[in-house]
Amino acid sequence: MNWQRFLQRQTADAEQREELDFYLEVTTEEYIQRGLDTAAARAAARQKLGNATLIREEVYRMNTLTFAEGVWRDARHSLRMVRLNPAFSAAAILTLALGIGANTAMFSVFSAVLIRPLPYPRSEALVGVSNRMVIQGRVFEDSDLSPAMYAACKENARAFESFGVWTVGAATVTGLGDPEQLVIVKATQGVLPVLGILPHIGRWFSGNDDTPGTLETVILSYGYWQRKFGGDPGALSHTILIDFIPRQVIGVMPPGFRVAKVSPDILLPQRFPASGLPEELSYAGIARLRPGVTVALANQDVARVWKAWGETAGVSRMLDLLQVQPNLRPLKKDVVGNIGLMLALLMGALGLVLLLVCANAANLVLVRAQSRQQEFAIRAALGAGWSRIARGVLVESLTLGVLGGVLGLALAYLGLRVLVTQGPTNLPRLAEITLDRRALAFVLACAVGSSLLFGLAAVLRCARPGRMQVARGSTRGAGQLRAQNALVVIQVALAFVLLVASGLMIRSFGALLAVRPGFTHPEWIQTVRISIPEALAAKPEQVVRIQAEILGRLSTIPGVTAAGFGHGLPLEAEYHNGIVIAVEGKTPPDQMPPNRAFRIVSPGLYAAQDTRLLAGRDFTWDDVFGQRGVALVSAAMARENWGDPISALGKRIRFGRVGPWNEVIGVAEDVYADGVNLPPPATVYSHIGGRRAVTFAIRSERAGTQAFLREIAAQVHAANSNLPLAKVRTLNDVYRQSMVQTSFALVLLAIAGAMALTLSIVGVYGVLAYAVARRRHEVGIRLALGAEPKALKWLFVRRGLVLNCIGGIIGLALAIGLSRWITSLLFGLTPLDPLTYAAAGGRIALAAVAASYFPARQAASMDPMETLRSE
Amino acid sequence: MVQGTLDMLILQTLVLGPAHGQTIAHAIERGSEEVLQVEHGSLYPALHRLQNRGWIAAFWGTSESNRKAKYYRLTPEGKRQLAAQTSRWEQVVSAISRILNPIPGKQG
Repeated sequence: MNWQRFLQRQTADAEQREELDFYLEVTTEEYIQRGLDTAAARAAARQKLGNATLIREEVYRMNTLTFAEGVWRDARHSLRMVRLNPAFSAAAILTLALGIGANTAMFSVFSAVLIRPLPYPRSEALVGVSNRMVIQGRVFEDSDLSPAMYAACKENARAFESFGVWTVGAATVTGLGDPEQLVIVKATQGVLPVLGILPHIGRWFSGNDDTPGTLETVILSYGYWQRKFGGDPGALSHTILIDFIPRQVIGVMPPGFRVAKVSPDILLPQRFPASGLPEELSYAGIARLRPGVTVALANQDVARVWKAWGETAGVSRMLDLLQVQPNLRPLKKDVVGNIGLMLALLMGALGLVLLLVCANAANLVLVRAQSRQQEFAIRAALGAGWSRIARGVLVESLTLGVLGGVLGLALAYLGLRVLVTQGPTNLPRLAEITLDRRALAFVLACAVGSSLLFGLAAVLRCARPGRMQVARGSTRGAGQLRAQNALVVIQVALAFVLLVASGLMIRSFGALLAVRPGFTHPEWIQTVRISIPEALAAKPEQVVRIQAEILGRLSTIPGVTAAGFGHGLPLEAEYHNGIVIAVEGKTPPDQMPPNRAFRIVSPGLYAAQDTRLLAGRDFTWDDVFGQRGVALVSAAMARENWGDPISALGKRIRFGRVGPWNEVIGVAEDVYADGVNLPPPATVYSHIGGRRAVTFAIRSERAGTQAFLREIAAQVHAANSNLPLAKVRTLNDVYRQSMVQTSFALVLLAIAGAMALTLSIVGVYGVLAYAVARRRHEVGIRLALGAEPKALKWLFVRRGLVLNCIGGIIGLALAIGLSRWITSLLFGLTPLDPLTYAAAGGRIALAAVAASYFPARQAASMDPMETLRSE
Repeated sequence: MVQGTLDMLILQTLVLGPAHGQTIAHAIERGSEEVLQVEHGSLYPALHRLQNRGWIAAFWGTSESNRKAKYYRLTPEGKRQLAAQTSRWEQVVSAISRILNPIPGKQG
């Protein structure tokens, strides 16, 4: 078919008409010449030509896109219908928009986090390099590398195109306005080539930069460069003071640059001394595989490197003892973590909601198609084929679907805006979430797919060949009601499943909140992290003096009830350090004792956190300055080693395998330091000072207010004006953040559950209202014959209840079947929590009663005379 | 008239030169000695179809009686099609006639 002809078909028709006229004239003349009179000749000519209009129509049809034009006509018709039935259309479009919007938003999250590759060139070749090792029977899947391992791997690994190690930390910048603490990444020379992101200006680190004794250098992030240098390329060759060491700026990374999960403010070269490498396993390895090398091959290669290294460095025994094996993984796995299951679960829940929406729309379309039976019958009688009518119904569904999709897209856009700004910061790749082409395709698929789904329901019911004869006055069969009932049962069942899921999340969240995490009123605990650089205090004792002075000053602020500091507070990342602890009389002298959480705390920290002491006493400043060999342990540690807290007092432990004994002078209650949903670790507390970076905890009801923060800053700067304040927040922020995964799932599932419940109420109501309307006549007769209104009411309510009961039972079976998927997100209850199931059932029942009552009341309050007369 | 032959006959008529619809109909009827009667209900749609395919082209001219008339002429593509269709037609006709009038010598 040719568009030009299509557009010029009016002209073509005029020409055709002219041509036929010409024919008539010529033929008439011919007949006149043969001797007929004018009238007879004209009649004969017409007869010879046949039906001129039919010819024109046939030619005209050749110039039309029959199908496209028909669809266009149907679409215009259905847009008119949308306008003419605002209530019906709004109900269908809004529910579709909600369903599609929620799914699209979730899909965008899913796609950004799990499907889309990491934002590095050829990112599938990137791997995180770490080891699997076993310490005291505990398996560590992702133990970082030591500097010696880095050196060995860098020298001998053949699987890597490039390789490096990096760490995250903090550093203080002075001399550029107020002192400021920044997030830094220390990276060896190989890390940037591994990631493959070229600097915006300047250069990467060279082999020279990570050799000790050369000029100290720094690479800035784009954001920091804009903030401090206003995007001036002259920043290169500037020197800035980082931890009081001058460093030359050699490059600026492009915007959005990240090292795995971290977006650093600045990058520093990681330098290792040429000899005497420290034996700490705290450097994250990262590598780019050579083309064609698989992760399994790379693992073999690194295993070979470790073996050779063990022999040359004489550490084979240690490697065997710890069962060290390389555990390389795609970098994406490191970045995304275990969030995939939760996202899949939420995606599934919202998919169920979309199904519900489809069922609802199908119901609406069905009811409407039913009321248009007569129209269909007339159209069929006038010669419309069933396919024409079916097409009409489908196009109408598509129109609703597309309108719903467009609105849903807008909703998804708004939802994602909210999510990205307010969302859980521990959701990986949050900033990468956008509505991309994939999401648009998803919307289209959702809209078209769901409209076909609910459109087909109507087509199969009403516009099937052989069904068109339903004409005026005929009674309607029970078939359509059966279809509607089935849809309602499905809706109730899905709603039940979603209610159970959201109920389980709500109960889990409640259980998390009910845990006493080892501190109280986290919103009253103001935290400030202060790092004391070496240039300010060279010796550990000096560091402690300054920290004690700051603490003393902070305690004088009005409203402060207690203050203390530790090298990390509960739920903070800094906290996850542990050391081996030997227990007198428990650890055999020739064995490696187990690793324990180890915290350095100041006197007063327990009071500031409101951590209860179950036995003994807190540290005192005399303990600190007198360097007494004393320690506190957590209740879990005490119970594990000595049975109960009281008997722990006076026992002795060692920090490490050797060294002096420390007497246990107190037992603190367990602190849920790794997250409220994880068991509290067995912890040992020491007062040994000298940590340069510590977090102060200040307990006050004024925590978080601007005035309070100003007073804190003033007191800290009175002690030393060059100390920056970092991580200024309340413990509550950290506490909430640690539960954010649960609350995120909770909110989304609760939304899904609420939508499902609403939709199923609407569904039940719709079916019953329709049934009442259909049986007006019957109800009128019954009432006229003296039926009790109450009995009539019950007739309809019973129907609603039966439908809900069936749906509820199916939902129960479904929920039990699906429950194991949610287990990993639950806390403190089983996926078959009876209370949750009962509550879901109760809510469904309430909804059923509410949805059935109004149609039933309407039936009972009909005026029999009026209904009978109207028929 | 045999299905599908009208197109071929129209093309054949136009080999002799441009003509308008009525002339084409006349030519076919006379040429077949009035055996073939052209249904006008199918002549004009056929002309339109051939035009859409680009086998014939239309132009407005003046008729013998000095009236404005729509003339059709054969395009080069139409000529090719005519040749192809004619040979195909002849094959079919000879095949059919072989079946209808078998040569006695070739049987048994």
